[in-house]
Amino acid sequence: MRKKDKFINIGIYISYGIIILTFLFPLIWIISLSLKDLQNLFAVPPKIIPDTFAFENYNRVFRQSDLGGYLINSVKIVFFSIVGTLIISVPAAFNFSRLRFKFKKGMLFGVLIFQMMSPLIIAIPLFRYFNALGIQDKHWSVILIYIAIEIPFQTWLLKSFFDSIPQSIDEAAEIDGCTRLQTLTKVILPLSAPGLASSIIFAGIHGWSQFIIPFVLLDNPDLYPISVGILNYQSTVETISTHLLAAASIISIIPAVILFIAMQRFIIGALTAGAVKG
Amino acid sequence: MLLSRKLKKYAFFMPMVIWLLVFLLYPTLDLIRLSFKDIGFVTEGSTGYTFDNFTQLFSHSDFYTILRVTIIFVFFSVLLQMSLGFILARIMVAGEERGLLGTVLVRTSVLIGWVIPGVVVGIIWNLFLTESSTGILNYWLNTWGIGRVPFLSDPTWALISVTVANVWRGTAASMIMQYAGLKVLPNEIHEAAIIDGASFIQETLYVTIPAMKPVLYTNLVLITIKTVNTFDSIISLTGGGPGRSTEVLALSSYLRVFRQFDLGSGASIAVILFTVNLLMTLVYSRLIDFDEEKGRTV
Repeated sequence: MRKKDKFINIGIYISYGIIILTFLFPLIWIISLSLKDLQNLFAVPPKIIPDTFAFENYNRVFRQSDLGGYLINSVKIVFFSIVGTLIISVPAAFNFSRLRFKFKKGMLFGVLIFQMMSPLIIAIPLFRYFNALGIQDKHWSVILIYIAIEIPFQTWLLKSFFDSIPQSIDEAAEIDGCTRLQTLTKVILPLSAPGLASSIIFAGIHGWSQFIIPFVLLDNPDLYPISVGILNYQSTVETISTHLLAAASIISIIPAVILFIAMQRFIIGALTAGAVKG
Repeated sequence: MLLSRKLKKYAFFMPMVIWLLVFLLYPTLDLIRLSFKDIGFVTEGSTGYTFDNFTQLFSHSDFYTILRVTIIFVFFSVLLQMSLGFILARIMVAGEERGLLGTVLVRTSVLIGWVIPGVVVGIIWNLFLTESSTGILNYWLNTWGIGRVPFLSDPTWALISVTVANVWRGTAASMIMQYAGLKVLPNEIHEAAIIDGASFIQETLYVTIPAMKPVLYTNLVLITIKTVNTFDSIISLTGGGPGRSTEVLALSSYLRVFRQFDLGSGASIAVILFTVNLLMTLVYSRLIDFDEEKGRTV
C-alpha cells in the first residue's frame, strides 16, 4: 500500500509539472522574446534564456509607442467604471437579496440575459447614437457603457454575497434606528468586505480586457485603452521587431496579472459559485 | 406613508433599471430593428422594412462557411475545456487530499490565461506559433523531424490554432467550477465504489461524473455561451483568416461592420448571435435556482 501511495504521489507531481509547463510556456516564451536583442531574436537554435537580457526593449517600447498613455487610459477608465458599477449594483443586489416581490424572478432573468449577451450586440447601435450626439471620443461616455456591461454580472455576484448574511442582522440594525441605506452602508457592506474585494477584482479584470466597446466608440488613438492600443501597435510591427511586440504584450498584462496573483483567494470562491461566467 | 416607504425600498433598483434600459435593452431592440432596414453608418436608407439583409446573408455560401467554422470552434473548445478542466480538477483534489505541495501554483498557472485580455492572448499565441524564423514551436518540430507546421497559414491548422489558444485561455473557468463540484461530493461515494472493487476509471465514469451532473451542465452552458461570444483573441491571432477559415459568427459581425462597413449584414449576424445568447440563457436559467434565499456560500 505504501509503495503504491508513493507511486501515485510521484504521478501527481509529474502531472503538476506537465500542467504548469504547458500553461506557462507560451508566456515564458513571450518573456524570453521580450528580453532578446536582434541577434538573439534570430539565433539558431532559439534560446529560451538569451545570452544577454535586453531590458532596453521595454524602454524602447515606452519611448517609441504610446503604450504608456494606453496604460494610463486603461487605469482611468477601469477605475471609474468599477466605482460606478458598484454604486449601481450594490443597492440593486441588496434588494434582490432581501425583498420578495411579484416580478423578482422575471427581473433576475432579465438581468441574466444582459449578463450573457455579447457586448458586440449593442456596439453597432451605440456607435450610431454616440456619433449623432457627438459624444464619441470621450472617456466618460465610454465609462457609462463599461458600467452598463458590468452591472448584470456584479448584481448577481453581490446578491450571492448578501444572501450569505442573515437577515436578522438587518432587523437588528433597523431596531437600532438605522435607515435602509444606513443598514446597507454601515452594517451589511462592512460584513461583505471579502465579497466586495472579489467584486472589485472581477470588475477590474473584465474592464482591463474590454475590447469592442472602446474600439467602436473611440476614434482618437490618444484615448485608447491598452486592449485597443496593443492591437493598433501589433498592426505597425514587423517580424524584425517581434521582441518589442513581446515586451509590449508583457507590459499590457502586468497590472492585471499582479492584481490577480495578489488577490487570488478572493476570486476563487466567487468563481466557484454557479452564477459566475468564466 | 406606507406607500412612500415601499417606494423608497424599490428606489434601490432605480439606477440599475435605468442603466439597463437605456444602455442595454434599447440598443438591443434597436439592433433588431436596424437588421430589417437598409442602413448606412449614420443614415437609414429607405423608411420601409425589408428582409433583404437576412435573405442576402442566407443566400450566400459564406454564411454557411462561417456557421461551420463557429460550430467546430465552439464544439472543440467546449469539449476540450470541460474534459481538461475535469482532469486538472481531479488531479488537484487528489493532490490536496494527499497533502502535496504546489496545488496553488498549478491553479495560478492555469488561471493566468484567463486574466489576460483576449487581444493579448491572440498576440501571445501568434508569436508562439508563428512560421517566421522567431517561432520556437516550428523550430522544435523541425528539429524533431516532424517538419514545419503551417499553424496560421493553412485553413485547417489555423482553426486548430485558434481553438487551442481559446482552450488555453478558457480551461481555468471549467477547472475551478469542477474543482468546487468535486470538493462538495461526499467522500463516502468514492469509498463505497472502491470497496465494491471499482477501478479508478470505473469509479470516475459511473460514480463521480453522474454525481457531478448539475455542475457539469452549468459548466457546459456557461462556457458554450462564452465561447460563442469569443472573437477578440481571434482578431490578433489570425484575423479570421486565411480566407474565412477562422471567421466565427461574432468575428464575422465585427469584420463586416467595422472593417467592410457593411452594416446591414453585420447587424443581421449580430441578431443571430443575440438569438443564440438568448436561447442559451433560457437553458441556463433552468439550471439555477432564482428563489434561493439565504445561506448560499460563495
